[in-house]
Amino acid sequence: MSGGVVAPVRRPLIEGHKTYHQITEDLCSPTEKAPSKAWIIAFIISVSVLAFGLFCIFWTIWMGIGTWGSNRTIGWAYDITNFVWWIGIGHAGTLISAILLLFRQRWRTGVNRAAEAMTIFAVICAALFPAIHVGRIWVVFYFFPYPNTRGSIWPNFNSPLLWDVFAISTYFSVSLLFWYTGLVPDFASIRNRASGLRKKIYNSLSFGWTGSAKHWQRWESLSLVLAGLSTPLVLSVHTIVSFDFATSVIPGWHTTIFPPYFVAGAIFSGFAMVQTLMVMTRKILKLQEYITIEHIESMNKVILVTGTIVGVAYLTELFIAWYSGYVYEQFAFFNRATGIYWWSYFGMMTCNVISPQIFWVKKLRRSVFVTFFMSIFVNIGMWFERFVIIATTLARDYLPSSWSYYRPTWVEIGIFIGTIGLFFTFYMIFTRVAPVVAIAEIKHILKVGGDQYIGENATHKNQHDTHSLSSTNHH
Amino acid sequence: MNSEHIQLPNKDKIILSILGIIGLISLLYIGANDDLGHTRLWTNLLHNSVYFTLVALMAIFFLCVNVTAYAGWDVVFRRVWGSMSYFLIVGLLLMGIIALGVYFGWHNLYHWADQHTAETDTIIKGKSGFLNKNFYTIGGLGFIVLWFFFAKKMRDYTIAEDDHGDGRWAHYKSMKFYAALFLPIAGFTSAAAVWLWIMSVDPHWYSTMFAWYATASCFVSMIALTILILIYLKSRGYYHGVTSEHFHDLGKYMFAFTIFWTYLWFDQYMLIWYGNIGEETIYFQTRIQEYPILFYGNLVINFVLPFLILMRNDTKRKYGTLIIVGILVFVGHWIDLFQMIKPGTLHTAMELGDHASAAATHGHEAGTHGAHGHEFKMGFTIPGIPEIGLMLGFVALFVATTLHFLSKASLTPKQDPFLQESLHHHV
Repeated sequence: MSGGVVAPVRRPLIEGHKTYHQITEDLCSPTEKAPSKAWIIAFIISVSVLAFGLFCIFWTIWMGIGTWGSNRTIGWAYDITNFVWWIGIGHAGTLISAILLLFRQRWRTGVNRAAEAMTIFAVICAALFPAIHVGRIWVVFYFFPYPNTRGSIWPNFNSPLLWDVFAISTYFSVSLLFWYTGLVPDFASIRNRASGLRKKIYNSLSFGWTGSAKHWQRWESLSLVLAGLSTPLVLSVHTIVSFDFATSVIPGWHTTIFPPYFVAGAIFSGFAMVQTLMVMTRKILKLQEYITIEHIESMNKVILVTGTIVGVAYLTELFIAWYSGYVYEQFAFFNRATGIYWWSYFGMMTCNVISPQIFWVKKLRRSVFVTFFMSIFVNIGMWFERFVIIATTLARDYLPSSWSYYRPTWVEIGIFIGTIGLFFTFYMIFTRVAPVVAIAEIKHILKVGGDQYIGENATHKNQHDTHSLSSTNHH
Repeated sequence: MNSEHIQLPNKDKIILSILGIIGLISLLYIGANDDLGHTRLWTNLLHNSVYFTLVALMAIFFLCVNVTAYAGWDVVFRRVWGSMSYFLIVGLLLMGIIALGVYFGWHNLYHWADQHTAETDTIIKGKSGFLNKNFYTIGGLGFIVLWFFFAKKMRDYTIAEDDHGDGRWAHYKSMKFYAALFLPIAGFTSAAAVWLWIMSVDPHWYSTMFAWYATASCFVSMIALTILILIYLKSRGYYHGVTSEHFHDLGKYMFAFTIFWTYLWFDQYMLIWYGNIGEETIYFQTRIQEYPILFYGNLVINFVLPFLILMRNDTKRKYGTLIIVGILVFVGHWIDLFQMIKPGTLHTAMELGDHASAAATHGHEAGTHGAHGHEFKMGFTIPGIPEIGLMLGFVALFVATTLHFLSKASLTPKQDPFLQESLHHHV
């Protein structure tokens, strides 16, 4: 897969003249040492936030859905916004693993592991919302079609909400498989350095991996098969989430561009969240030589591209609303931009379309500081996008007498913040038990991405000129 | 090995000329047997002009995507895309003729271009800020000029690099600058061009997906044509550096974007079907009832067959299967555009034809008897033999233009920083 010849304009992806041994050392050690003070403090905060979220969920279930701000006109707002937001974030992981693998992008190896983990945690956060928003969580099994004794009561197969159940559970399963498959050889690396009970645990986790040629061969084929499977899945999940809205006949929701535009937006927000996590992770775990400025720049370019695609979609919607000559459609968009929720539209446009344009400047997209702030900006913008689509549209429906305004209660805000706590709690546990950067995959690209082989500081320069690096060649 | 210039055998030039003459004869035949408004002639001209112009746009777009994305694998044959994009010059001429026709009322392609309709039809009147003669001419042609500007920039830099390129990669950096700049420009203008040229033939109907759908259609055709041109050039002894590894990747692109096109097709159809709003469903209603072969055939040719054939690994590496699928999807997407354009233009011709008190003609019948369905009219509800002939003429024009510009410079960029990667490409 990684050919021996590297173009002179490519820049290194692994810095610090790493040897194979050093890579193992650097990437395994965070799981072996006692946690740092920063980690402990952050973990306590995350768990506390999670606890508050759990309390709010408990409050909702105990007191009833009336504790939320939804009203007769706006039947869902915060819950569905958060659901779509988290599902969107959950897209980057599989995109990085699968699509970038198919495109043979070597820079994916620095960030794929963390992005896949993030995907799984984000999907868990998302899946919470449909479960609790039904109000009576004890009958949540109605989601699933199964042979039952309730007569003709079945889930409505015509409803995209049901398709969501299938799409998301499939996506979750395949993403989990993909993530775990990648972890198997790395768990074996940790096992080889461990002793006692720890060794036993990691040995089971790695399925007794021995690293034989046969193992690697099967592992690589499985990775490719899973990549092929997950690529359509990445598209399907947000496509079906967009169907939740677009299959209706509500102006502002019923528009054919929704599926690809939701997918682009999801990738956009997913990459922003990866940036948020990576910037912190590389600093706290001292992985700057593996998650380099090169990686950050590449991801910022993806953010710029997807942000602009989303921008094209926004303008397409606006333009076609005018072009349609359909007054309700025109009003829906006029209302978005200038109505009672104008501030959320303004936030969406600023954060999603305008602000990412600063990444045209090379200096800014290579700045860790700017990247971190921009990633938060994009996360906020993409949250606003869902809020704009959902709340603004519902607040001004066909019947002016039922026009209404929605504001979230402390319970809803608490649940949302709680999911952020859940997300970070999971992520922080993950950094303690598994290598955050895929060891095997980093080693795989060392000879074509290490700075001793390519770039200005290369010390082994002649080697790749003679194309002798066939050791990493996989045809 | 890679710096050779092409010199085509005379036999091939004769074949291309013959195809061109077939196209011309078809055009004359259509013109001579047409109704008073020359509906068939103009719709065919619009259909082919838009199709091949958008294919040229997709070529320069994909070239710029690859330059921006640090792609190395395609460098060895990248100039094929650069040369394909030069068809934009011809496209400018062709779309110029159509724009003049809009201006001076030579044809009835666009309902909105009719003075009377534009003043009395409320919906069309509401769109007159976009759908008007001036914007069609200045905007539409302006887009092509803008696209060509970038195509020329990319070509000029890569050719200059052959002689003056060095380790500072100044030309490469300039190309990267223009390529990146072109991407958002192409993103916005391609959508507007598709609305203007294609979607507005059904001036009451709209779909936000339409621009991306039509563009994806032409993207698949562009990849198919690239594969066919490369196989041809290899058969004439050029492009030794292009191996089955490169074809494998091109095949993967054809496979992937075939699925992507189907995805967009499905989304647009499904959402309109599910919403079931009369103003929207009429688009598919017309096509299902009056153009059933094209409507269902579209999915078979452009999805089922390429999907099944290209699923295997080896079919993406062998000339035989690549040629079959390449021709299939190239013609398939040409048919796709046919069914995007014909129903709307025929309806317009029928409505406006009444004003001009034109005699009942093919176009007229096909339009008015549409409700009866399943009445196939060559050149109207399905492409007839002259349509195929005209398409062959356009293919010859496109290929000749491409080969002409390809022969003006080295086939492979000699000093591109990624050249060695491309020559040693392994899937």
